Amino acid sequence: MRPVYFKGDTAFSAALGCGLAAGWYGAASAVFPEAAGGIIPAAGAIGIAGFLPVVLGTRPFGQKAPEAARSHSNMLKQLQALDMHAGINMVSNEGILSEVNDHLLALTGYDRKELIGQHVKMLYDEVSQSQTCDIRNFLEQGSTWQGETHLRRKDGSTLVTQATIIPIFDKKGNWAGSISARTDVTETSKLQAERHSAQTLNELRDDIWIIDAQTEKFSYLNGSAKERLKLVNEEYLEKDLGDFNLASEIESVLKACRALRASGDVTTQFEAELVGTPMYVSIKYLPDPRGAGRYLIVSTDISHRLEQEQRKSAFISTVSHELRSPLTSIKGAMGLLLSGSAGELPDKALALLEIAHRNADRLILIINDILDMDKISNGQMEFDISDVDLVELLKEADRANAMLQQRFGVVVTLSGADKPVFLKTDPNRFIQVLTNLMSNAYKFSPPNGRIVLDIADAGEHVRVSVKDEGQGIPLAEQGKIFDRFADMTNSDRAAMGGTGLGLSICKAIVENLGGTIGFDTKEGVGTTFFFNLPKNEPASNAVDDVDVKRIA
Amino acid sequence: MIKLLHVEDDADIREIADMALSLSGEFDVVQCETGEAALAYVENYTPDVVLLDMMMPGMTGRQTLEKMREKPEFATVPAIFMTARAQHAEIDELLQIGAADVISKPFDPISLGDQIKEAMQKAGMTAAA
Repeated sequence: MRPVYFKGDTAFSAALGCGLAAGWYGAASAVFPEAAGGIIPAAGAIGIAGFLPVVLGTRPFGQKAPEAARSHSNMLKQLQALDMHAGINMVSNEGILSEVNDHLLALTGYDRKELIGQHVKMLYDEVSQSQTCDIRNFLEQGSTWQGETHLRRKDGSTLVTQATIIPIFDKKGNWAGSISARTDVTETSKLQAERHSAQTLNELRDDIWIIDAQTEKFSYLNGSAKERLKLVNEEYLEKDLGDFNLASEIESVLKACRALRASGDVTTQFEAELVGTPMYVSIKYLPDPRGAGRYLIVSTDISHRLEQEQRKSAFISTVSHELRSPLTSIKGAMGLLLSGSAGELPDKALALLEIAHRNADRLILIINDILDMDKISNGQMEFDISDVDLVELLKEADRANAMLQQRFGVVVTLSGADKPVFLKTDPNRFIQVLTNLMSNAYKFSPPNGRIVLDIADAGEHVRVSVKDEGQGIPLAEQGKIFDRFADMTNSDRAAMGGTGLGLSICKAIVENLGGTIGFDTKEGVGTTFFFNLPKNEPASNAVDDVDVKRIA
Repeated sequence: MIKLLHVEDDADIREIADMALSLSGEFDVVQCETGEAALAYVENYTPDVVLLDMMMPGMTGRQTLEKMREKPEFATVPAIFMTARAQHAEIDELLQIGAADVISKPFDPISLGDQIKEAMQKAGMTAAA
């Protein structure tokens, strides 16, 4: 609140009268903001301004003795009322407290002897301590200061007061100190802050629901939420959530709330469709030691974002697929030439053709990786789970990569593959991960390097690993090895033909299959990449009954 | 000789497929640029196998097959799709509507003939079963 200043009279009594009148007016205005025409604050102010000078011996001209006596009596009552209503203190010109009334002690929680003799700053909190210089400047000039001050109670809590501080002068007219009258407006201030918060919440574009965890009824809906649920006023407060027309959608959120509380977590987020609009729903459970607590649900309309993502995704998909048609011709033509079906070619021509053919393959790999990454980003990667023999898949991947093994001159051996290992997983995605780890191992192996493909029972998981004898992964790169394009930061690695997406795709696939991926590496010795797949069915991809997409 | 009808809008791919299928000398290949042209051609011709590109201007490969299937003599002719959008869902869908196989682009020209014969064999076994 902006302070209001009055230029005071040099006569102490008149100044005190006017000052306290102003104090009363300000305080009463804060306490009775709705008072019609300001009658209550104004009446009090006029009374104090009129009577205080009288009691201090400055009777107005023309006033007779009996009238003065009545005035004196009334004025005392007024002062008594002020003393009961406001916290009053006097300080010296050095800021030392010399008088405090009982009301101020009650408001602040201090004893009189704890305050008298102390600097008035001890009563102010951090906010108001910075005001003291300002106030002092006004008082020194004979002006009265009026405004909001934040005091610190003995227990450390904040006491918001509406204060009027007037200067006191000695007989010679020198500034001697001040007297302050303060009204407690803490609750008013809190109510105002709450009202502002409520107005802000109501105006937010996001939907805000608060559900009582005990009764499972709405205790608050902001404007946007009410509009979406087609509700007016506060009719929703007493209604059971099952009675709303949109019960199933509300029920799905409520289920997520219950699950959150049961899990012991505090927050959860997911995407769900509410009243035909895709929303990002964020739930926070607010525990309450006196009850079951509340759920705070903030839902953001993400239809615009999804549209943009879909457009981007469609663009990537179209461009990628459009690239495949010319690549089909390029790769097909080179494949036929290499096979000799168009006649014998000189060795040098064949060698050049092989380079072109290999790079056409690399381009296809990049396109596939980009498409996969896009699907992962949109949560659209498909998984086709069936009961498969992982050992058979391991052998298939080994056979499919035979040409690559030859090209890099590596020796691959299988370990633990002497008996079938059945697991429910996606065979194509399993081979995709394995092929990626294998091709990395080939690329980073020395000539004649040994590579071991191992499959092992690891309790609740099956562990598949690819061990190479390469240079190992430098420490600086280890933390970001599964990040997108991590590979591309190293030009040597880029030259090896990586897209920089392979390992991040592997990680996403393995995690979607309910597993984990990692590596052990030692510089100069080699690296072992491994992934663990759960023996029970992968759960992460299953649709739960809440029908929401959980966000990592 | 296996009578093969190839429907593909990209002239380069048609040429490569033609060369690839001529390697073994087992295929008698007829090629059409559009689904509409293929439908007109099959009025007087029944192939042993149809190789259809999925994405074509005008009728798609799928629509072309559906029209062909309306002719009784086409009821059991194996159909193989070629697609640049080889996604699980699409492949499953094509297999469900009776495709003998789905070949992803880019394809390997050297093994194309074998891939088609294998699909025909599988389709024949399915039909026999």
